[in-house]
Amino acid sequence: MKIKKILVANRGEIALRVLKTAKEMGIRVATVYAEDDKNLPHALFADESYSLGSGTLQDTYLNKLKLIETAKKANADAIHPGYGFLSENTEFASMVESAGIIFIGPTPESITLMGDKIGSKKALEKINIPMIPGYHGDNQELSFLCSKAKEIGYPVLIKASAGGGGKGMRIVHQDSELEEAISGAKSEALKAFSNDKVLIEKYVVNPRHIEVQLMSDTHGNHLHFFERECSIQRRYQKIVEETPAPNLTQELRLKICETAVQISSGINYRGAGTVEFILSPDGKFYFLEMNTRLQVEHPVTEMVTGHDLVKYQILVAEGEKLPVKQSDIKQKGQAIECRIYAEDPDQNFMPSIGKIDRIGTPTLRDVRLDCGFLDGTEVGVNYDPMLAKLVVWGETREIAISKSIHSLDEVLFLGVKTNRDYLKRILAHKDFVSGFTHTHFIPDHKTELEPRVHSDQDLADLIAALSFSGTTKVSNGSTEVLKNPWTELIGFRN
Amino acid sequence: MEKIFLINGQEVKVQEFSHKGDSVSFILNGKKHFYMLISKDQEFLILDNGGRFRAAVSSPNRDGDSMIFSNGREALGSAQGKKIKKSGAVSGGLKSPMPGKIFKILKDVGSQVKKGEPILILEAMKMEHSIRSDKDGTIQEIRYKVGELVQGGVTLAEVQE
Repeated sequence: MKIKKILVANRGEIALRVLKTAKEMGIRVATVYAEDDKNLPHALFADESYSLGSGTLQDTYLNKLKLIETAKKANADAIHPGYGFLSENTEFASMVESAGIIFIGPTPESITLMGDKIGSKKALEKINIPMIPGYHGDNQELSFLCSKAKEIGYPVLIKASAGGGGKGMRIVHQDSELEEAISGAKSEALKAFSNDKVLIEKYVVNPRHIEVQLMSDTHGNHLHFFERECSIQRRYQKIVEETPAPNLTQELRLKICETAVQISSGINYRGAGTVEFILSPDGKFYFLEMNTRLQVEHPVTEMVTGHDLVKYQILVAEGEKLPVKQSDIKQKGQAIECRIYAEDPDQNFMPSIGKIDRIGTPTLRDVRLDCGFLDGTEVGVNYDPMLAKLVVWGETREIAISKSIHSLDEVLFLGVKTNRDYLKRILAHKDFVSGFTHTHFIPDHKTELEPRVHSDQDLADLIAALSFSGTTKVSNGSTEVLKNPWTELIGFRN
Repeated sequence: MEKIFLINGQEVKVQEFSHKGDSVSFILNGKKHFYMLISKDQEFLILDNGGRFRAAVSSPNRDGDSMIFSNGREALGSAQGKKIKKSGAVSGGLKSPMPGKIFKILKDVGSQVKKGEPILILEAMKMEHSIRSDKDGTIQEIRYKVGELVQGGVTLAEVQE
């Protein structure tokens, strides 16, 4: 069935991303907004936009009934959930389908299966997907656990079953440390979670986070759009992603991608999905989880393969066959995404808020800024602090890096502290440049990623800019605008 | 004329500061600097100091600090005269530990407070944070109203001994 109108059940840049493709396909788009978002572009630029009222997220973007009601009111035949919010919510997907509306996403069954972290691993083990070797069983006898640890091979990680936050966690490198580590982890786990059950897993030193973009239709076609490298993370949140992954042999790349397709075909998946793997420096890789939605970082894949993933999501939802074959999908050049956050990386990533006076525009070719804000809009405390994604394509990785650094300077968000300068420091770091990335990159390079001290020349430049800025304070403390820059463009000589 | 700027909280002194029309010059650590303003569009500037570069300066926050971008560098700064005139003290303020919303104001301007006594409550990260006086004294100023959003690290109130 041809979709004529889509309701986007999301906000910000991803709502605009869906809008863009829908417009290119001649599909009408309805968006929704919470009242405190009413001036943001996702509430302004769609064919129609509906208020979800105000209140908590449960009242607005997570309000399943209201969203479905709105879709009916708007006469939308499909709902695109974006990422986050209700995109991986089984109940919502089922409710949408029972309301006779197409859910642009996987089946509720796939969402349930992959949302269950233990169940999904058990199901995938049956089709021979590699899992991190480990023991998760009930036998907690010390001698038994020790024999398991030796069987898995050092280093191993001892972890509280009920755990979280690093409590009851130990890394063991040799026999002599083992017994003490297990007992220590057990007593810590008992204190923290009233449960001393521990599990043992292979500890991967310098692991890389490699994920594979998948797309499946309902005619038995399960394709991959190659991998993404997403190892640069702060607090388990990705901030720089790229494709192709550097320092990966073509053989290993294909093996990882084909393993991912084994999963999507094995569970008869539908639509866009991503399988995340942990890659060990020895070339072994293990299943981590599958995300049953479009990912934040999908644009790098689009840049390098030249395919529009949102378009394919819509075609699949319409019941169409994917218009490409695996052999048509190729990687060309390099793409890097930097996530621009409203936060201060030099103050423990403290979120920042405020009015964005102006947003800079990238000027180089093949550079895309997916942004959910406009000049004059406010960044508040109620939503995720991601302001935009800067996505840059270059013929080579070296060029993509230098174009990204240049573009980060251009896309300033005047008025709100962002992590742009920090992102520049990451991209310029010698280990990043040589492609030696792993998930501990940020904590391991903490000192080297600290801000460069301003040189005298930097300070002079800053002071000069400040001195020319349009306002100054007079002695009674009030602000006086010295000149109106619209009427008085001074010194315009060239 | 000597002039003091605060850049990222650090005092930077310059000598022979002069700002006439579209030129600014000063001496910083013994070296003379001279800049021309080439163009200006609201917050966006193009400067020339032998080579041209782009800069931007945001409107100041309530602490008087502007975000400054120049030549790929970024800082929070102000000319110091502005701040001193305003409150008589740059460092005596009670600052917000993180961005949030003013939830409650417990004291009026002019009232006496003891060290450790809460003056207002900030709601941030779904928790309430009491902002307490750092000394015995009189409340000189409370810069925000209930319900207002505040940035992290800005002065919320000032108490003088």
